[in-house]
Amino acid sequence: MLRNALRKDLLLNARHLWGILPWFVWVAYAMSEPDAGRITAVGAGFIGSLMATTIAAREDKLRTSATLASLPVRRRTLVQARYVVAIVVGAATYLIVAAMAALLPWSVQRAAELVELKTVLLTLTLAGMAIALIMPLVIRFGLLGVVVFLAAFQVVGVVLFVAADFFGARSGSRLFFGTVERGIAALHAGLGQPGPIVETAVVVGISVWLSFRLSVFLAERRDL
Amino acid sequence: MTPEFALELRGVRKTYPGFALKDVSFTLPRGYIGGLIGPNGSGKTTIIKLIMNLIRREAGDIRVFGLDNRTAEVEVKSRIGFVYDVPGFWDDQSLDSQRRALGAFYPRWSDETFHRLAREFALPLDKKYKALSHGAKTKFALAMALSHGADLLIMDEPTAGLDPVFRRELLQRLSALLQDEGKSVLFSTHITSDLERVADVITFIRGGEIVFSLTRDELLDGWAVVKGDERVIRELDPRLVKGVRHRAFGVEALVSDGGAARRAVGSRAVVDKVTLDEVMVLMAGENRHAA
Repeated sequence: MLRNALRKDLLLNARHLWGILPWFVWVAYAMSEPDAGRITAVGAGFIGSLMATTIAAREDKLRTSATLASLPVRRRTLVQARYVVAIVVGAATYLIVAAMAALLPWSVQRAAELVELKTVLLTLTLAGMAIALIMPLVIRFGLLGVVVFLAAFQVVGVVLFVAADFFGARSGSRLFFGTVERGIAALHAGLGQPGPIVETAVVVGISVWLSFRLSVFLAERRDL
Repeated sequence: MTPEFALELRGVRKTYPGFALKDVSFTLPRGYIGGLIGPNGSGKTTIIKLIMNLIRREAGDIRVFGLDNRTAEVEVKSRIGFVYDVPGFWDDQSLDSQRRALGAFYPRWSDETFHRLAREFALPLDKKYKALSHGAKTKFALAMALSHGADLLIMDEPTAGLDPVFRRELLQRLSALLQDEGKSVLFSTHITSDLERVADVITFIRGGEIVFSLTRDELLDGWAVVKGDERVIRELDPRLVKGVRHRAFGVEALVSDGGAARRAVGSRAVVDKVTLDEVMVLMAGENRHAA
């Protein structure tokens, strides 16, 4: 049944997933920029996963949720398929960027860098956490869930910048993005050692598992 | 042992703000066509959604071929063909893509049946769903529902928005399904003439409560409309009177026993056979019998 649910998600939402294409135009350009390969590949995997999490929102908008719930398949299986598709699409996007790094004539990236274990693990970590955070919202609230999440994110961002300015930082945005960048760099460096790998895998694994349980709980209780 | 009923609802409850479905109970025997009628907002769609487990019931029991519709959800749904009042499919996908993606879920799916129905309904399989008319969308939903060997068809207002020719064709097809294959059908509708044409069992719902669930013959042969002046109508046994309407020339009363009403009023009032339309109007009307 999971196979049918995956097939359905990919067959009927392929057009939606083509929305990632413009990202590849930027990737093609970035391949000519020195040192842009890793961040581009990680970003692509992250964006691919995010795009796939919004399949539920699209189906909500098309009012197909009731049609899906009338099929002989448990809602749990449909939710499971959503998580698998998000991971598969993220992985596929990442691999396409790695292939572009190797094959595009103007690429100055070393493809081997992009398939390094710690870079792959960093992508999995970021994409996994994004999926874990967004999926329950999308499954429970559909398109509205995504919009509310993004709006809340904007509000939190503005509050952080204002607070940083208020407490005397020269530039709130610089402070914020600097912190995020240093955090990601530290995580990337750490993922080269066995201890942090295990710790990160446990945190991401538990987060995705809890998110999945919550999504199933919400999906099974949702009136359509 | 084969269960006697295709569908059984016992004491089913569901509450929304401003509306409640109260202890709904009725059955649909195997091989019968059941019609669910009632005014707008009476709870027809809610009942159908509860049967399909699209919404969660608060109390009661729903069984499809003897199986609980929640614990045996997958098996129950593989035996049901479902047509929603506003069919929801993927707008930007062709009918054929949707057939491939959704048909795979059904163990008894038949591409042959689907293509035969698509030809009969003149469905353009290569066209996107959004390019279809409302009627064609319903036909597509119907072709999907009829292509997986369902034993029970459940349809919410399937004839709404269809032209009279296809409506008649659809009803004939439903009757043929029963004669040829022993399937059962439950459908809700506002169009009482559709029910008179095909329904074996008629269930009337009003304000979230089942008012009656009777065979068509019990209803159309047993019930009657008494037309006379108010004094005569007041002499009727109040237990028989199901609805009253005041007209310029007198009063009309819907009674559940035409024979008893005839004996009670004699020649002082006219006792006519009832039509489903009159049942709908008299039972849904505001002038309930006060006695």
